[in-house]
Amino acid sequence: MSSFAEEKKNLPVTVEKPIPVTYDLGNLAVFDSNTLDRNDLDSSNAQREENIKKISRDNVQLMINQILSLPIKSTTESANGTSGQSASMTLVQLPEPTSELPREKPLPKPKAPSKWEQFAAKKGIKPKERSGKMVYDEDAGQWVPKWGFNGANKKLDKQWLVEVDDEPKKAGDDLIDPRSLSRAERKKLIKKNELQHKRNMKGAN
Amino acid sequence: MIRTVKPKNARAKRALDKKEPKLVENTKQALFVTGKSSTKVLHDAMVDLSALKKPDIKRFNKKNEVRPFEDAEPLEFFSEKNDTSLMVLGTSSKKRKNNLTFVRTFGYKIYDMIELQIADNYKFLSDFKKQTFAVGLKPMFSFQGSAFDTHPVYKHVKSLFLDFFRGTTTDLHDVAGLQHVISLTIQGDFEDGESLPNVLFRVYKLKTYKSEQGGRKLPRVELEEVGPRFDFKIGRIHSPSPELEKEALKRPKQLEVKTVKNIQLDSMGDKIGTIHMNKQDLGKLQTRKMKGLKSRFDQTSVDSDTENYLNDEEQELQGAEESYGEDFVTANDIDVEPPAKRMKK
Repeated sequence: MSSFAEEKKNLPVTVEKPIPVTYDLGNLAVFDSNTLDRNDLDSSNAQREENIKKISRDNVQLMINQILSLPIKSTTESANGTSGQSASMTLVQLPEPTSELPREKPLPKPKAPSKWEQFAAKKGIKPKERSGKMVYDEDAGQWVPKWGFNGANKKLDKQWLVEVDDEPKKAGDDLIDPRSLSRAERKKLIKKNELQHKRNMKGAN
Repeated sequence: MIRTVKPKNARAKRALDKKEPKLVENTKQALFVTGKSSTKVLHDAMVDLSALKKPDIKRFNKKNEVRPFEDAEPLEFFSEKNDTSLMVLGTSSKKRKNNLTFVRTFGYKIYDMIELQIADNYKFLSDFKKQTFAVGLKPMFSFQGSAFDTHPVYKHVKSLFLDFFRGTTTDLHDVAGLQHVISLTIQGDFEDGESLPNVLFRVYKLKTYKSEQGGRKLPRVELEEVGPRFDFKIGRIHSPSPELEKEALKRPKQLEVKTVKNIQLDSMGDKIGTIHMNKQDLGKLQTRKMKGLKSRFDQTSVDSDTENYLNDEEQELQGAEESYGEDFVTANDIDVEPPAKRMKK
């Protein structure tokens, strides 16, 4: 075996071609457009396999020379997890593939705009600038959340004295506690928003 | 078209999301289908080809009656059902013996098809009693023949084999993973009008030796055939329509690298930035430090001390001038004693 390796020592690592070969190093491919003799490759030729191997070898040698001259990155990463030993890995940085190959599936379609998005685009409404969840409550002298537990939107529910409209919006409202009325209004808004959301999702699909 | 219902749990939803079109696509999966009339040769050939493509394969064991050039619908169904865009169908008949049909789909519709018939001098993996290639490694490709760049049929073959076996696309590749090469050779050059020569499919394993000429970096490469070995005769072909081809070759705009002003990449992949600056003020240039150059000795800002000093000097000079004038000895001065006067001064 050693003598075999010795023998290879003095063989050249460069190959001369009449037409230079082209590469697609992103796909690790080499394209050789030199002339091929039909007689060398005919199935009746006893040397056929040798000839094919020889041409391939020359091209692979050229490609290996190209690949090894690409920028190299060395990393230390455990080669096999069970032994726990770490070995250094030599990685070559391949360029982008240049051969044009068809995709598997068409490009993903952009999401369809919801009804609100369409409306906002028509009216030129920009999304409101978000300034965080907390607001300053001047009466209490502290920061409170805009909504949620102890939210500022529940202020009306907790008041001991509530202002009542002179004329109720709906008949019968004047008999109900205005505090629970405001809560019901809030719940109704949530329901309405959910419904719109559902309708938009249906439109988008 | 397969009926899809809205997924009822997260797992089903994930599975469906995986099938959705993606910006950066997954590795193409291959499906090996046995035709109605198959032979042992075809079966073994498909096993060997799937060994090269592993682990991105699915293989059918039962026979399926499919005639892709007459009715491709069953194949489109298989493609959608299994989410595979590469398919190999093995059929054998009197007219087309040991015929492999390589099919590619685009969006579950047939993109292109080509029939490759295995000529008689085939050899399988098991016929080579040597070390074989490792599973799942990215192969190298070597295409020999000018027709791979010029003739549409061979372009198709090139595109197909590159697409079929290239595996995952990476930007970093382990040098130790460069282990086997798929070599495709056109059996001799040909002219228009002649019958299309066979495509010779060979797989070699790389052996590298230290070389004195290549130095420490470049090795001497030798090849050893590991199989399978096929000579493919080209049969019927179905090429994509120009519109479909254009659609399939589209590249997503989102992935295009934006050119940023003043930032360049050189050939080695290093980033180079250009900085534009105002004109340099040479007055503030730091030169050699010396006591005499310190700002307090500057001539521009004259303080009172130096002013006085300068004035003194001027007066002295003026005085000197006067005395100098007196030094002139004229005829009138001779009677006076000049040395005494000088002493006074």
